[in-house]
Amino acid sequence: MERKVDFLRELGTIGVGHATIALSEILQGKLFRLEVPDVRILRFEEAASFIGGLDQVVAGVSIQISGDLSGHMAFILPVESAAVLVRLLTGSEDSTDEIFDELGRSALAEIGNIMITSYLNALSALTNFVLRPSIPGLAIDMAGAVWQSVLAGALIDDEVTLIRTDFSAEGIAVEGNIILLPEEDEFKKITRVLGLEEM
Amino acid sequence: MREVFVNMGQIQGLVGDGVLTTVGLGSCVGVALYDSAARVGVMGHIFLPRSRKNSSAELPGKFADTAIPALIAEAVKLGAQKRRLWAKLAGGANLFTNLSGPNGNIGLQNVQAVQESLKLHNIPVVGQDVAGHHGRKMRFFVDTGRVTVTAIGKEPIDI
Repeated sequence: MERKVDFLRELGTIGVGHATIALSEILQGKLFRLEVPDVRILRFEEAASFIGGLDQVVAGVSIQISGDLSGHMAFILPVESAAVLVRLLTGSEDSTDEIFDELGRSALAEIGNIMITSYLNALSALTNFVLRPSIPGLAIDMAGAVWQSVLAGALIDDEVTLIRTDFSAEGIAVEGNIILLPEEDEFKKITRVLGLEEM
Repeated sequence: MREVFVNMGQIQGLVGDGVLTTVGLGSCVGVALYDSAARVGVMGHIFLPRSRKNSSAELPGKFADTAIPALIAEAVKLGAQKRRLWAKLAGGANLFTNLSGPNGNIGLQNVQAVQESLKLHNIPVVGQDVAGHHGRKMRFFVDTGRVTVTAIGKEPIDI
């Protein structure tokens, strides 16, 4: 378990490195700090209430992975954090209630896509696996509803791996969570290729 | 008024009065069973359509095929009669329309599995607000059997 967390922290650090470069490019240098303060392996029951209240509104971007590893990845963040990122990307000054029109939604899906594929590239580099992401899906809804839809899509009913990522952009703190959901027994493929059998 | 929250995979019951609430139903299905004569209400928050072999030790309330019998047993334990029970359902949405394939629309599969299991036990579905692409909050008032469903930014509706 400890080695699994170490591996995930390493994955988080590399993933965040990729994401910083990619996001800084599209945000024209506005995004200046990203860090991974926390890696958690949560029980299914704990996962849904981890970010906050179950009826708090969150934004979730979800991607299906195929190739040498099957699974799902998601980027889930409080709706206020999502609004900050969309404002940075689009230059909009709309309020959180108004910002998620078609343009706002597609900007957010793209940010989520970049975040997730940055981690996917890190995972690919560490394992030499070929990993293909699907197109991103976006939902802005109650935290409980978004979480369970991500978990159910991956048919996860035991453990959930969560890498928290904090951003600080233009002096505004933004919180996000990367969720890695390999399908059953797929994590063993990662541990095998890395020689961490007992993980 | 007493309010009891029903989390993913849980089953809760009340007799006489109080509210059973489940917050943030996405692809999950909330099921309310009620016996109006005994004023017994039970609620489940079902996550997946079918249990798997390795899940035998898990909560029966997680899966439609094991949750419906467990809900009925709980209602009977609290004084309900099985033949008097009716059901109301909410949830089973598809929030991420990009997720396709066999695991794609879990929401719809959950709704179908719940409906089939209820039919098997001769329990009529008297109200439902299911499918679509948004999350829901479900509240079940055990004094009257009233069930309300709320989406974000919307007023509650009665089902």
